[in-house]
Amino acid sequence: MNALKDVLQLLVTPGVWHATLQAGALLLLPALGGVISERSGVVNIAMEGMMLTGAFFAVVIDLAAHNVLLAVLGAMVAGGLMALIHAVVSIRYRADQIVSGVAINIFAAGVTVFLLNRFYGLSDVGQVPARDALPNVTVPLLSDVPFLGKIFFSQNIMVYVAVVLLIAIQVLLFRTRLGLRIRAVGEHPQAADTAGINVYLLRYGAVASSGLLSGLAGAFLAIGVSNTFVPGMTDGRGYIALAAMIFGKWTPVGALVACLIFGFGQAVYDANSSIRISQYLLSMTPYLLTLIVLAAVVRRSSPPAADGIPYVPGAE
Amino acid sequence: MAAAAKRSARRGPPPTVFRRAGRALGIPLGSVGLAFLAGAVIVTVTGGNPILAYQALICGGFGLVCFGGEQPALQISNTIVFLTPLIMAGIAVALPFRAGMFNIGAEGQLIMGAIAATTVGIHLGGWPAFALLPLVLIAGSLAGAAWGGIVGLLKAVTGAHEVVTTIMLNFVAQWFLRFLIIGGPLQLPHGNSRSSPISHSAVLPTLLPHDNSVIVFGLPASVYRAHTGLIVALAAAAFFAFLLWRTSLGYEIRAVGQSQRAARYGGISVRRTLVVTMLIAGAFAGLAGAVQIAGVDHNLTDQYFTDTTGFDAIAVALLGLNSAVGIILAATLFGALHGGGSVMQSDAGVSGNLVYMLQALILFSIAANFLRSVQLRLPGVGRTPLTPEADAAAAALAQEVDQSAAADDKGIA
Repeated sequence: MNALKDVLQLLVTPGVWHATLQAGALLLLPALGGVISERSGVVNIAMEGMMLTGAFFAVVIDLAAHNVLLAVLGAMVAGGLMALIHAVVSIRYRADQIVSGVAINIFAAGVTVFLLNRFYGLSDVGQVPARDALPNVTVPLLSDVPFLGKIFFSQNIMVYVAVVLLIAIQVLLFRTRLGLRIRAVGEHPQAADTAGINVYLLRYGAVASSGLLSGLAGAFLAIGVSNTFVPGMTDGRGYIALAAMIFGKWTPVGALVACLIFGFGQAVYDANSSIRISQYLLSMTPYLLTLIVLAAVVRRSSPPAADGIPYVPGAE
Repeated sequence: MAAAAKRSARRGPPPTVFRRAGRALGIPLGSVGLAFLAGAVIVTVTGGNPILAYQALICGGFGLVCFGGEQPALQISNTIVFLTPLIMAGIAVALPFRAGMFNIGAEGQLIMGAIAATTVGIHLGGWPAFALLPLVLIAGSLAGAAWGGIVGLLKAVTGAHEVVTTIMLNFVAQWFLRFLIIGGPLQLPHGNSRSSPISHSAVLPTLLPHDNSVIVFGLPASVYRAHTGLIVALAAAAFFAFLLWRTSLGYEIRAVGQSQRAARYGGISVRRTLVVTMLIAGAFAGLAGAVQIAGVDHNLTDQYFTDTTGFDAIAVALLGLNSAVGIILAATLFGALHGGGSVMQSDAGVSGNLVYMLQALILFSIAANFLRSVQLRLPGVGRTPLTPEADAAAAALAQEVDQSAAADDKGIA
């Protein structure tokens, strides 16, 4: 009973909803990347690794250059380069895309700590000064609205960026010619090829974008949410983003809904001090929820038809 | 078949055991070689000495070429400790591969096995070893089987993709573990984030006597941690081979993996096979967790939260070509890499995390079959000729080899 009261108490605290939005945006960026990649027909379970790489380089560049913009760009490039490995291996060499994704994640975990040891010695972890971190943006007037103001209009700049990207990608995929082409390549590459669409180019582009977005999320995590790099700091967020993408039936808006649910779980976990249920049991709930949803709705949610199948020109 | 036999007779003597072994080992060994080459480039570019690094890695892994005062026998013992769970977890990934499924959930299944083994090992602590020890291993297997079975069931009933469900179940298992040992029912009364140790009669004995007065290779025997779990692992590998090649279930698993449609027309229940496969796979991973608890750790710690055995097992299964012998060899390699990583870090000053990069590079190399493209591109390196006619002939030859291999498989089954 007490535990239930604690949960209800949490629901009326603006801080929890503020944290939900932040955690949700952090998940949304790689989830959007996953949507683009898989819509083009390349399975991507490597958001975790690309995000981790982005987080590492965001801190490294910020420490070296004291420039947030440069750090964010560097993180995106680093994530994009990891994605390019995945793209080359799975598009050019037609490798199993799940194996390649697993390899990227292992590689990222290794290379970040390897370079960390190279740059800063065996135990040091880069600590970014707060003034270099991604700033919070407080919208004048609107942020003074009681309850809602603090939740929606006093967020980290990345939360707003994520919202803009969400809208942009939803429009791109479903309202533009390029989006139609990306989806065509993911559904029926043979037909798309016959119609004169460059299947490989679009797939390379889509996978690279997933890396840019995941790298951006890594920067948000490392120099926005926290201000340091800790080995393995993504902590499964890339995998949750993957689940959110599937949960949201491979659409940006669907992924947003799932990310907010997972973000809420994260926020409750972070607010653990005021709750008397084990925070670890609470942490299980998003994953259990995903399982239940998968079991219940999976028949109505199916991936793009050519998702995970390498394209061989001329083969049917 | 007769034509194929005639043709191979015309080309000379039939492939000997050695030639067949060479053909089977070619791609894995080449992939490992390629990965180490790439690793050497990475070490060189980042200002390290690759020869020094690999020498320390081999010393730490296999106890060979040690110049830093390491005790070779101790290094080998450590490698055995690392490779033991990798064999069983590798089987847990390989068996579903044979049925056309991707088990990324070996880690979660292993954790559940470790949890069950610890629980039994603590709560039935008064039982004698001859009863308790098997019970601990069985409990671990059953818990792993249950965790894997959920995946199979979801796949069979709702079609939920096993990659996603196993990832989710990994997280559930990890957080369940943390719940149990941090403030939960398994936590030590005054300790932090660990369970109480299992009973002495639940402990798998070490390979050498646990006795400080016995000196082995200049060190007291009790420092060697290699334990009889290795025998359990090797038995598991033998059972895996038997199951796959000598039982009708094994035949069904392979048939489903080759073509679900053909298997269905052949009268095999695909759904049942998928569920049973995941049950057995989970049992192997759960056994790995139980052996880890009973053999090395003796209690649940937060270490299992960050354990990566179940993910390393994916590389083991792929490198071992999903065969029992291959898995043992691949597990030995990865066990040696993990054992050698720390020596490389202390002796050569190269971060031990190079080991993970090597592992990923091996995965890339196998998955993408870079070797084949290298072969095709460099005349003289590969045996594949470059003219179109010869190319077609080579393709026909490859097909023939595949067919005769498939025929061999059928003969054994």
